Amino acid sequence: MTLLDVRDLSVRYEPKASRPLDAVQEVSFAIEPGEFVGLIGESGSGKTTLGTALLRLLQRPGRISGGSITFDGTDITALHEDDLRSLRWRDVSTVFQSSMNSLNPVVRVEAQFRDAIEHHSSLRGEAVTRRVRELFDMVIIDPKFMTAFPHELSGGMRQRVNLALALALDPKFILLDEPTTGLDVVVQHSILENVRRLQSEQGFAVLFISHDIGTVLDLSDRILVMYAGRIVEDQSAGALLREPLHPYTKGLLGSYGDPRAETVKITYVPGRPPDLSLDIVGCSFAPRCPERIDLCLEKTPPLEPLNGGRAACHVAALQRRDGGAERFGEPKRGFVGPQFVKTGDESRSALTNEVVLSVEHVSKVFERRRGFTVTRTEAVSDVSFELRRGEVTALVGQSGSGKSTLAKMITGVESPSQGRIVFHGPQGDKLVSGFKGRALRDYRSDVQMVFQDPYSSINPAKRLGYVLSRPLANYQGLRGEQLRERVLELLERVALTPADRFVNRYGYELSGGQRQRVIIAKALAVQPDIIVADEPISSLDVSIRAEVLELLSDLVKESDVGILYITHDLLSARMLSDEVIVLNGGKVVEHGPTLDVIRDPQDDYTRTLLEAIPNPF
Amino acid sequence: MTTETTPLPTPGEDFMAEGEPRQDLAVEQVSDATRPDQWWQVVWSSKKARVGIGIVAVYVVVAVFAPLIAPHDPLDSSFVPLAGPSSTNWLGTTTSGQDIASQLIYGARISLLVGLFAGLIATVIATVIGMISGYAEGTILDDLLSFVTNVALVIPALPLIITLVAYSEVRGIWLIVGVISITSWAGAARAKRAQIITLRNRDFVTAAKFSGEGTWRIVFREIMPNMTSLVAASFVGAATGAIAAEAGLAALGLGDSQSVSWGTMLYQSNAQGAIAQGLWLWVFVPGLVLAILMTAMTFINFGVDLLSNPHLREDA
Repeated sequence: MTLLDVRDLSVRYEPKASRPLDAVQEVSFAIEPGEFVGLIGESGSGKTTLGTALLRLLQRPGRISGGSITFDGTDITALHEDDLRSLRWRDVSTVFQSSMNSLNPVVRVEAQFRDAIEHHSSLRGEAVTRRVRELFDMVIIDPKFMTAFPHELSGGMRQRVNLALALALDPKFILLDEPTTGLDVVVQHSILENVRRLQSEQGFAVLFISHDIGTVLDLSDRILVMYAGRIVEDQSAGALLREPLHPYTKGLLGSYGDPRAETVKITYVPGRPPDLSLDIVGCSFAPRCPERIDLCLEKTPPLEPLNGGRAACHVAALQRRDGGAERFGEPKRGFVGPQFVKTGDESRSALTNEVVLSVEHVSKVFERRRGFTVTRTEAVSDVSFELRRGEVTALVGQSGSGKSTLAKMITGVESPSQGRIVFHGPQGDKLVSGFKGRALRDYRSDVQMVFQDPYSSINPAKRLGYVLSRPLANYQGLRGEQLRERVLELLERVALTPADRFVNRYGYELSGGQRQRVIIAKALAVQPDIIVADEPISSLDVSIRAEVLELLSDLVKESDVGILYITHDLLSARMLSDEVIVLNGGKVVEHGPTLDVIRDPQDDYTRTLLEAIPNPF
Repeated sequence: MTTETTPLPTPGEDFMAEGEPRQDLAVEQVSDATRPDQWWQVVWSSKKARVGIGIVAVYVVVAVFAPLIAPHDPLDSSFVPLAGPSSTNWLGTTTSGQDIASQLIYGARISLLVGLFAGLIATVIATVIGMISGYAEGTILDDLLSFVTNVALVIPALPLIITLVAYSEVRGIWLIVGVISITSWAGAARAKRAQIITLRNRDFVTAAKFSGEGTWRIVFREIMPNMTSLVAASFVGAATGAIAAEAGLAALGLGDSQSVSWGTMLYQSNAQGAIAQGLWLWVFVPGLVLAILMTAMTFINFGVDLLSNPHLREDA
């Protein structure tokens, strides 16, 4: 019997102040007992709303506006809260997106388990403790942490605890809503392995929501692809990888590449998802679709059975009909969109360029004084490397590996405890060490930074024109018409065209990729010699990451700026960088040309990082 | 949604061909729909705020056009003392033969002036001290400013005001404004300090540093626009408090004896034993208009609350 049956489910948000929108539109799917189903889509596609609706946790102004949800034979679409309560957690449980705050900070972990267990089962006292210990064993956490408070656990441990909590009552169905977002690749990898193992042992069904098609393909039996509130494709993982039906799926698959290849191509889906509060005529993906035909702009494609799965695409359906291949072309596997290519040759020539910054045997020790004892932490120890003009050096490592400390020293905010950093600028060599005031301000015309989170690095109260004009006014003294021209030029430079349409916008009106381009434009404004890019794509949707990588790569080729690319993700390091430095615990464990390091890693730690990259190919 | 469509390929054309990626599809799209409401739209969306704004607007009109609206000079004592309401004296007269209605109308001027200026000055002090000490959190400057704020918080304001006013030579309205503002900024300064501590580590502040901005510009041009709702709410709160404080001082006989305010009306009526003589209107009306004004301003703050907490907008 089907465990979860969703029919024509629609969710509508009706905020008082703005137009109503249908975040989920006529979604139908079923999950069998013990099935592992992945749900992917970019941010804003409605996947979290769908998940929340399945748990009946929607809050005003959202509500289920149509369709039905049947769980294990019971229609829960309109079930009363009191009846839901007995169902929740015992049969249906979840691990939420924000691992950091879904545990009660003032209650010990064991007590939180006890709450859930005692409410739904007859276990009491010592028996509950035994069960919690068992659960801790399942998710591989030392049971001594049972009596800990949530803040005493690391992010990865907290998310394991959440997983254990979800499993506490042997539910039939678990909803995992991006359970590993914000965690390190290595931790992420081990948690997801854990999930998969437990799922096959205990046979619960999972709906796994993620924006990362790589991990979804790795884990799931079947995959639902969601775009603009609708399911556009539903196929088994293998079939989806072999023959994706919907162009959007092709776009998502195209955003992955094999880092080991000599030449890597990744595509991206340009543009942004449609505004769901406006009427959409035809297929909602049509404006971004390279395969669209006239019909796509007129009629919304229904989700129809196709090739053993389901897809909502006119072109895919027409091509697979009798004689369709002749009229509409053979079905294609790839996304015929903009593409970012990186060949091995480019890197080799870049490694001979002129050195612009050298890091020589640098160490950084932090001292923390507590009463009479001083704790010394060595965040960075004896690191040496060089940054060259027109070259990208990637600094790869987990959080806590010393990446950020190194970035702070290179940007002149902190000074090294030992060793030295020398900047070979146009005005001769300059020793970089913890600048203050005027000196720091001057140094920033040589070294600029691109931030991790494009959503918080543009002032929400300022227009883009203002944001971009400030460095120009401060460092080049531009005013008036000249200033405006230069701002427009910068916008054009990062391909935000026509520029005058963007200059009066606010940051929040742009997509993540566009915002990150504004940040890059701002960094370019002072014509720096070095740009430090701190995980510039990690908070972007997979489908648009290549957009930013391509821009950075073009910059390096066109101007002779050197980029220090800080990341935990070896795939993006491969795409962008010519040289890789792998940091572990503040030490350089591997250093060399990117391709060599990735193809033939010498250090165990590099191998662990490489294994953590989901590789569905 | 602004979308520029590229020319559509016709089915005959080999648009599926592998190879040449379609770069021309990379049309930039910007959405208009995500633009949030302007602050005044948000405030206006609350029914309570609309009522409050309406009432305050009436008070402002009355205060501005007092000479045109009031039937008599408020200090003119040529009427029959202790007269009841009539067509000449709408609300009757005082023991010294002054027209109560005219006093009431002119009294709105003092209350609103004090509210506006004391509210403004207190907000400015609170903003400057709160912002600087929050931005400099953990430094000696912060310790110093926090110390000053804490002292201002714990000093009992009313006795201080009374002492200051009682010992001053001239009891003009500006003295009252000054005294009220320097005794009422501390709480708001602490609130702003707390807010800026959460904002100053945002990436956009670091980004502004990388644009070469100076500290003053970062604090007041980059961060402050993100705190408008808090500043606005604290202004309305401070103004309400200042109106109440002025009325209280005047009612205690510490007001400006040269001018007419609702507080001095209350003081006079009390001094002349109005209640004992059954002159209810003389006592009741100034108290009522004060209460209505302060309620209206509190209503406005319900609307301002919606600015900082979007969740409330759904329940408004």
